[in-house]
Amino acid sequence: MKNNRRLLSGPYLFWSVSFIIIPLLMIVYYGLTDPEGRFTLSNIAAITTQENLKALGLSLLLALICTVICLILAYPLAMILSTSSMNSSSFIVLIFILPMWMNFLLRTLAWQTLLEKNGVINLVLTVLHLPTLDIINTPYAIVLGMVYDFLPFMVLPIYNVLSKLDRDMVNAARDLGANGLQTFIRIILPLSIPGIISGITMVFVPALTTFVISDLLGGGKILLIGNVIEQTFKQGSNWNLGSGLSLVLMIFVIASMGIVSKYDKNGKGAAF
Amino acid sequence: MKNAAKKIYLGLILILLYAPIVTLIVLSFNSSKTRSKWGGFTLSWYRSLFDNEAIMNAFYTTLIIALLSAFIATIIGTAACIGMQVMRKRSRSLFLSIANIPMVNAEIVTAVSLMLIFIAIRMNMGFHTILISHITFNIPYVILSVMPKLRQTNRSTYEAAMDLGASPMHAFFRVVFPDILPGVLSGFLLAFTMSLDDFVITHFTKGPGIDTLSTKIYTEVRKGIKPEIYALSTLLFVTVLLLLILVNYQPEKKASPVKKTITTGFRIRTAMVRRVLPALLIVVVIAGGVYYSSQGVLNSDNTVIVYNWGEYLDPDVLDEFTEETGIEVIYEEFETNEIMYPKVNSGAIAYDVVIPSDYMIQRMIENDLLAEIDFDHIPNLKNIDPTYMEQSRQFDPENKYSLPYCWGTVGILYNKTMVEEPIDSWSVLWDERYKDNILMQDSVRDAFCVALKYLGYSLNSTDLDELTAARNLLIEQKPLVQAYVVDQVRDKMIGNEAAIGVIYSGEAIYTQRENPDLEYVIPKEGSNIWIDSMVIPKNAEHKENAEKFIDFLCRPEIALKNFDYITYSTPNAAARALIEDEDIRNSVIAFPESDQLTDCETYSFLGDDVDRIYNELWNQVKSK
Repeated sequence: MKNNRRLLSGPYLFWSVSFIIIPLLMIVYYGLTDPEGRFTLSNIAAITTQENLKALGLSLLLALICTVICLILAYPLAMILSTSSMNSSSFIVLIFILPMWMNFLLRTLAWQTLLEKNGVINLVLTVLHLPTLDIINTPYAIVLGMVYDFLPFMVLPIYNVLSKLDRDMVNAARDLGANGLQTFIRIILPLSIPGIISGITMVFVPALTTFVISDLLGGGKILLIGNVIEQTFKQGSNWNLGSGLSLVLMIFVIASMGIVSKYDKNGKGAAF
Repeated sequence: MKNAAKKIYLGLILILLYAPIVTLIVLSFNSSKTRSKWGGFTLSWYRSLFDNEAIMNAFYTTLIIALLSAFIATIIGTAACIGMQVMRKRSRSLFLSIANIPMVNAEIVTAVSLMLIFIAIRMNMGFHTILISHITFNIPYVILSVMPKLRQTNRSTYEAAMDLGASPMHAFFRVVFPDILPGVLSGFLLAFTMSLDDFVITHFTKGPGIDTLSTKIYTEVRKGIKPEIYALSTLLFVTVLLLLILVNYQPEKKASPVKKTITTGFRIRTAMVRRVLPALLIVVVIAGGVYYSSQGVLNSDNTVIVYNWGEYLDPDVLDEFTEETGIEVIYEEFETNEIMYPKVNSGAIAYDVVIPSDYMIQRMIENDLLAEIDFDHIPNLKNIDPTYMEQSRQFDPENKYSLPYCWGTVGILYNKTMVEEPIDSWSVLWDERYKDNILMQDSVRDAFCVALKYLGYSLNSTDLDELTAARNLLIEQKPLVQAYVVDQVRDKMIGNEAAIGVIYSGEAIYTQRENPDLEYVIPKEGSNIWIDSMVIPKNAEHKENAEKFIDFLCRPEIALKNFDYITYSTPNAAARALIEDEDIRNSVIAFPESDQLTDCETYSFLGDDVDRIYNELWNQVKSK
């Protein structure tokens, strides 16, 4: 009986070997060989060329900034939502899941219309006689796009942790004489770390690897590591080089996961 | 006070989240086709949406892929969870970490890895490859939703059921399954939403003639989104909004909210699922069936797969061709020669007709990618001005592989009201006064053409010093450039977003029609003169249809119709003679005199090694 039940994982095992494990091995293979199939490390070493390093550095920087901003915006938001008396669950659906039904490319593209020189925001600012905002086609616009796209991934896990937080703990702390700030720093914040951590990964990794947002809001002037990989595959058609760079990117992803799992003692965070 | 602050904060976040969505909804009522201009209120996009086959097809494909992939992923994922439950802890955690890979890994890496495996096992890219990929990244979401539920179930109830004589199957479906159903459903919905919203993975694993909404939008970004897309998105958004409101305002029956690892949000959606989804499911599946049967026709032999530049053919021409010959046209678009080449070269997709430019044709001939065209099957060849056949010899020495489709020059389009004096030189692209008002072409050869010509070198230079100088010049120019774009130059110039743009001559007539302030000039230092020609790749599966298609495009009245639509100069002498508007027939933009072209050169293919140098140098410019 038990064996029969175990067989139920069979299709999944087959699927993940065929479409997760083997494809990843393909990347490793391509990344470590040249077009003639000989072993080489040059595809990996290509990351050290000035322009690739710059793209990687910029990606790391923007992803970091985006993660920090998301965290700063999301935490108070999650606090407000978790303590508010309204029917917050449906509210959360409304504000965070609903936009996902509007295509994400369109949503990002709409920022172009908003931010452009003659765009909506500048129109409003001009009417109000305020200085115009010229951030389209700059890294600022990209960070804005990233924050916009990935904010829900920060809010949801933190909200989950906070809403499950035992109110008695907070009350106990207050009874024992802690003020609001102390309660927050000593009780609420430490208890919400798993949510923060899983929020950070869910924002940092996609922000690090995106090429669409930089494409749409950067005016083709700003290359992130995602753009470099996309171009290597789609335009340069150099699969070996592209795979090599993908491997490097994976190393960074794994490294950030490693850091996260160090803090995330409760196993799989609180993503969903 | 504190509450007010909270409200304001919530309000600000809401504005951030919904400003783009409101923008899109507003744009769906905008009668102007350009994104950056308000032309008055209209409902016409909603009407034309349902006539727009391409968009509706993409929409259905998106829905069907989302539904099927979520459904299959739910079955595989749920079964896997049940199986894993009886595993030893170590193998279970191994399984779970494999499940996590697609979730934590960079999307682009997952996408690339899937593309590589499909090509390695010679699977033709198409509907099924997208489906497989979506199932792959959906399974983890299902497992993640089902696993916690399953952990909460009480093993003893299951054993009790068995003790009472139920078969394992029976016991499972009557006892365990109802317990984990909410998890299964929320997994399904999560997978559905993820699949619906995916772009990156589809982008790498799709084949010709198939688009999801995301990839459709992505190709349209370059040449301006069709307003029908806004209309469709608005409809979709409003539908979901109404559904959610409807469901949320029904009294909740659940008395004791159990603490669960999934968000409360998903629980609510679960409720919605019970009522609405079955109905939705049936509707979409039936629609899918209908759609599929029409796809079946497309898969028959009577097709021709055409791969062309974006916005480079009047869609009506395709319809007329199908009507007359019964041959279905599968139509794909590319943005630059450099994007086209690897696709044809990899052979993953067997195109029948491709329309690349001169130097790329030379490269394709040298790399033995093209089939000889049987000109006996193309009687309309007689309409083509022999001068262009003669010019084609530069890249196709024996006129065996190609037939000219359009030709033109690269030049500067400028807005007369935004510049101080008439422009006649490339030097204006380095003029500090136009900082942030310059649009450059986002393609290697065109960008280097500008710099090399400005420096007085040949645009086919292979001299490393000259190329480095050109690169330095382009780097120097970068702070002045507003954006590097391809087809978007057109919309941005019409919308007065920039003063000066590098553009192909064919766009000039169209942009002038839309915005009379614009003027096109071939700079005095000389420029590029190009020919785009129709070729048939060697691996084409429908060569006869391809020749019929090429012949059809060479008919004078068809070529004329096409010229009216795309406004690129036609080499078709018979068609030019038919142009009624004398100004256009004799326009120096569309049909420049030969003395304007004295310093103009065609691109030639410089060999793979030099090509790589160009690409490297260009990357250095782009990443500065």
